[in-house]
Amino acid sequence: MTPGSTTFTADTTAAQRAAAVWPQTLVGIGVLLTGLGLAFGAIGISSTAGYGGVGPNFLPWLVSAVLTLCGGWMIWEARSGGFRSLEAPSGAERAYWPGFVWVSAGLLMNAALITSIGFILSCALCYVLAVQGLRRASGQPSGAPRTWLIDLVTGLLIAGPVFWMFTKFLAINLPGLTTTGWL
Amino acid sequence: MDIFNALMAGFATAVTPANLLWCLVGCALGTAVGVLPGIGPAVAVAMLLPITAKVEVTASMIFFSGIYYGAMYGGSTTSILLNTPGETASMVTAMEGNKMAKSGRAGAALATAAIGSFVAGTIATVIVTLFAPFVAEFAVRLGPPEYFLLMLLAFTTVSAVLGKSTLRGMTALFIGLAAGCVGLDQISAQSRYTGGIPELLDGIEIVLVAVGLFAVAEVLYAVLYEGRTVEQQNKLSRVHMSARDWKRSIPAWLRGTAIGTPFGCIPAGGTEIPTFLSYAMEKKLAKNPQDKAEFGTSGAIEGVAGPEAANNATVTAALIPLLTLGIPTSNTTAILLGAFQNYGIQPGPQLFTTSATLVWALIASLYIGNLMLLVLNLPLVGLWVKLLKIPKPQLYAGILIFATVGAYGMRQSAFDLFLLYAIGVLGVLMRRFDFPTAPVVVGMILGPLAEAQLRNAMSIGEGSAAVFFQRPMSITLVIIVVAVLVLPRLAKYLPSRRVVV
Repeated sequence: MTPGSTTFTADTTAAQRAAAVWPQTLVGIGVLLTGLGLAFGAIGISSTAGYGGVGPNFLPWLVSAVLTLCGGWMIWEARSGGFRSLEAPSGAERAYWPGFVWVSAGLLMNAALITSIGFILSCALCYVLAVQGLRRASGQPSGAPRTWLIDLVTGLLIAGPVFWMFTKFLAINLPGLTTTGWL
Repeated sequence: MDIFNALMAGFATAVTPANLLWCLVGCALGTAVGVLPGIGPAVAVAMLLPITAKVEVTASMIFFSGIYYGAMYGGSTTSILLNTPGETASMVTAMEGNKMAKSGRAGAALATAAIGSFVAGTIATVIVTLFAPFVAEFAVRLGPPEYFLLMLLAFTTVSAVLGKSTLRGMTALFIGLAAGCVGLDQISAQSRYTGGIPELLDGIEIVLVAVGLFAVAEVLYAVLYEGRTVEQQNKLSRVHMSARDWKRSIPAWLRGTAIGTPFGCIPAGGTEIPTFLSYAMEKKLAKNPQDKAEFGTSGAIEGVAGPEAANNATVTAALIPLLTLGIPTSNTTAILLGAFQNYGIQPGPQLFTTSATLVWALIASLYIGNLMLLVLNLPLVGLWVKLLKIPKPQLYAGILIFATVGAYGMRQSAFDLFLLYAIGVLGVLMRRFDFPTAPVVVGMILGPLAEAQLRNAMSIGEGSAAVFFQRPMSITLVIIVVAVLVLPRLAKYLPSRRVVV
């Protein structure tokens, strides 16, 4: 799969508008469900209002009502000619999913491993995986062992100094692999 | 003379070697993030927010404001030399600046942008110096109803007026307000929307939202949609302005400053309107047929000078509502407000009395920073341009490492990194479907404050909303909010009626 090369132009064609109906409807449904979910959560919040007549549940109810309304309105817009005054998004028309998977893997593994393997190794791993995805997305050579090695070294060269700078000079707590404070 | 003495005391604090160094590092970092595509000042400040835990408040605020206006200088370099503007603020600069660069006048465009930013930044700083204390004195008299309405005005302008679609602006604002609700309620200490997850009791960190929406979303968006986008870089020519360039630039700088400053002062944020206004004005005012013909063809220098000055004036003047009222009008000022809050300081009218040293050192550092930036950006521009050579994959993957520092460093929780990813995905959806992001950040930061003011106001009115209509200042604000909502729509409706008739 290669990234799409056609880009949206300012005046989208009827075909493009038709293709956008479902994604836009889904966005509307997402907002609607968020609104309803927030309303469900608001039921459990106390309404003790004191002097003001406005309790801790006022804003949650307001937010859920408005979001539900906005979601409904968006669904209507999507089904009746598409979102209004929509600027064509930048970049390719079709998403390049393999790249997204690589970058997501980098970010999620970083989140899962940072406390056990330390900031430097975890971030270097995130860097290596993300750069793989980004290289593939831009059509650069990516799979060769040499590229992996270069990326790994670059990742360590960024993560290491960042770790030392923030922990040593700025006294921010970041997890290390050892307790020496250097790795 | 009070102001003068206070400012001098501010300079005394700001010129200590340590603070000068913070200012310099901030300005340099700001220029770098302004030049680099993919990260802007909001995310740079957000990623560095964890330093508020250790660094002294004056030093870190000087540092953050250095990043804040340094990025404006750097942003113009990218928009002149690349065919893609880094941020909305430099969109207008990109229109004429890019054309000038294409016709071999990149140097003149860069020079007029940097000097124009300096002129506008300095004039606007003088205005901040002179007017902020008066606004603060006036603001002391405002009560909860007025504060709530001022915040409502900020919400209205940021969501309903500035964006293209009111519906999507409102949705973004209320998503921000919903995020602000998570955690313990300020007044009653009730937990809201925590779902039994202890990490959420403290609320969602603004760092997470800003870094997720701007940095992580940017990387995910780039890998999904922009892998094959090719950027052309224009050639850098000698940074020099001819006598004619000066003659054309100076009035444009001054007009740009005059347009930008008032826009920064009112809680109606955003640099889009003043920069576009300035551009339109310069285009209209160009009398010489030769100059006029340059607009949109080979690039007119006024079209860079005016908007660039307007941009910097707006950004600097935006510190007035931030410092005196505690109301942010843009992403970055919202995050600066978050930085103050991390120190337990609530910007507002009392700031000028309770934290006078801090405020005046900050203002003094603006003068110093502007000077530093002029030096950093004129003779050293070649150095910054080299940053544009960093290949995209490595740059974006590197941004993720810094994003991790910001998100994890704030409260040392791996849970936050998962949340960061989720917010990043949300950011991609928002960008793809053209939702504005500023309302989310402003809603999230200002939401809890506005809620507290609303409830205090209602308590004053003993449960009656009439409190918003009984005081002269509050009724004025109600009228302004309504006008802001109604007038643009009316203006759109009327001309179309006339055509029909």
